[in-house]
Amino acid sequence: MTWALVVRSLFRHPVRTALVVLGIAVAAALLLDMVMLSGGMERSFSRMLLSRGFQIRLSPKGTLPFDTEATIPGITPLLDRLHQDPDIAAAGPVVATSLHARVRDSLVTFVGYGIDPSNQGLYEVRSGKNLSSTDTTGLLISDPVAERTGWTVGDSVTLLGRLDPQSARAGAERMLVIRGVVRWLYDARGQRSLGANFRVIQQLGRFPDRDVASMVMIKVKADAAVDRVAARIGSLHPGIEVNSVAALVRQFRARLVYFQQLSLILATISLVVGVLLVGTILTITVNERAGEFAVLRAIGLRRARIVGLVMAEGAVLTVIGSILGTALGLVTARFLDRILTSFPGLPAAISFFVPAPDTTALAAFVILVAGVSAAAYPAYLAARAPIAQTLRADAE
Amino acid sequence: MTPTPVILARDVIKTYFVNAQPVTALRGVSLAFGAGEYLAITGPSGSGKSTLLQLLGGLDLPTSGHLELMGTPIERLSDAQLADLRLQRVGFIFQRFHLMPVLSARENIELPLAEAGVRQAERTARAMDLLAYVGLTARADHRATQLSGGEMQRVAIARALANRPALILADEPTGELDARTGAQILELFDKLHADGTTLVVVTHDEHLAERAARRVHLLDGLVDRDEITRR
Repeated sequence: MTWALVVRSLFRHPVRTALVVLGIAVAAALLLDMVMLSGGMERSFSRMLLSRGFQIRLSPKGTLPFDTEATIPGITPLLDRLHQDPDIAAAGPVVATSLHARVRDSLVTFVGYGIDPSNQGLYEVRSGKNLSSTDTTGLLISDPVAERTGWTVGDSVTLLGRLDPQSARAGAERMLVIRGVVRWLYDARGQRSLGANFRVIQQLGRFPDRDVASMVMIKVKADAAVDRVAARIGSLHPGIEVNSVAALVRQFRARLVYFQQLSLILATISLVVGVLLVGTILTITVNERAGEFAVLRAIGLRRARIVGLVMAEGAVLTVIGSILGTALGLVTARFLDRILTSFPGLPAAISFFVPAPDTTALAAFVILVAGVSAAAYPAYLAARAPIAQTLRADAE
Repeated sequence: MTPTPVILARDVIKTYFVNAQPVTALRGVSLAFGAGEYLAITGPSGSGKSTLLQLLGGLDLPTSGHLELMGTPIERLSDAQLADLRLQRVGFIFQRFHLMPVLSARENIELPLAEAGVRQAERTARAMDLLAYVGLTARADHRATQLSGGEMQRVAIARALANRPALILADEPTGELDARTGAQILELFDKLHADGTTLVVVTHDEHLAERAARRVHLLDGLVDRDEITRR
């Protein structure tokens, strides 16, 4: 009975109600998008860094992973010590350099990764097979490489290293056989990267005679031990930057603080718009139906019941608006994410808007609470109106 | 032992404010009537009829004086207790019917029953009985806005009877109806009275006033005449 009265009263003016619901939906969509945006990049960044379960990164002092210019010296003894640590499950070096190949009549440039295939957190094999640790002739390519060059698994290709830009002469050259196609987890969209065993790429790179790496990725056996292991490595190797993923996420968060504040402000604005919409429409409705509320009280409905009726109208408007707004927010988030992630240089795995059940539920809950709260003032007006005086005014 | 009157009013004064100016609608009304009475309150416009009716029904409180409904002094009741009194003991019939336009005839009658906590099946049965009583069974599922004036007033009467109140208060119940429809409502009031319902009707309608057993005539906020017209 109560709900019939509430719902039918709302739809007495269907166009007006539809416009208000649409307004709430837009506000809810904006709120959801801003909530997704404020935590989405951080969530996406953390997910990307942990996608292969490596919780610690070692990089040259004063740099963040992944800087191809700086290097960590003495990589072989360092890896030996890391492999002896009982808390460490895997430690894989990464060296990066620019490589080239002649494709038809042009010279194509690639990012070359040197990795230890049995201890790597840099890629996932999509087709073909992975390299073995002893494979010194195998090569892994990515889809953008395959698209640009037409290379496929089984092809033999010649890679050029240490290219002199003036003479276009290579300082090193090596023929490798493509074993598999992989997805490089930290690559930007369309980035042409290929990989081979660590020593192979080291030989083709800038420092063939030096025992260096660009980065080391470490997988710790127990998540609880990550901070302890990172602190221990840091104290043993003060010349190396040691970062846990949690620390990197903290640094990332610190850089995003203005972004998050902006999201928060926009989310607050959308919430205020929603509250004003519900409050305004219900105040108008209560004024229009003052006589009806007075009659309801005259026939015995308590003030609390009148408050409940008006609040329920606010809730119905907000629930419908929130449901529509959630759908609208998810669609617009996907659209906006496509635009933002197309910025050059961003890892393809990074998303700005990450839908998650908890953030979606939080946004829906916040707008619902705000909508119902917005009904409080008109509900108060409806319940407090003097019955006799209102009926007298209604009769005139 | 004298039975407790349904209404007992002593020196009731009601002053309200219009544009910050005090207007005294009742200037010391004293009145008592018992169960089963059929009372018409008459008087010219502005004599205080509707104000008195609203006080009798607990829609407003007197500025001074004493008013008892079924032995309960209403000035001592909280707002919630007054609402419960209106729900359980008093039925209102308004000049403009005041049905909920978005509800059907049956749902309008069920409204006070639902508020009183009557279960769905029982209140539907009671609403249908009342619709039969006022001769509107066929219009049960019609929205209030789809009914004629006379039909709306009959639904309003059925709504007023929903919780079997001790007292029915009607404010100009035929004021918005044509003569023929008004006559049907008067017949319904006669039927209510014959069934033992206590009726207080504020009216300008001489036909209605003549049918009441007792007439209280107000003039300038005071009881001018209080006469038994029929036995």
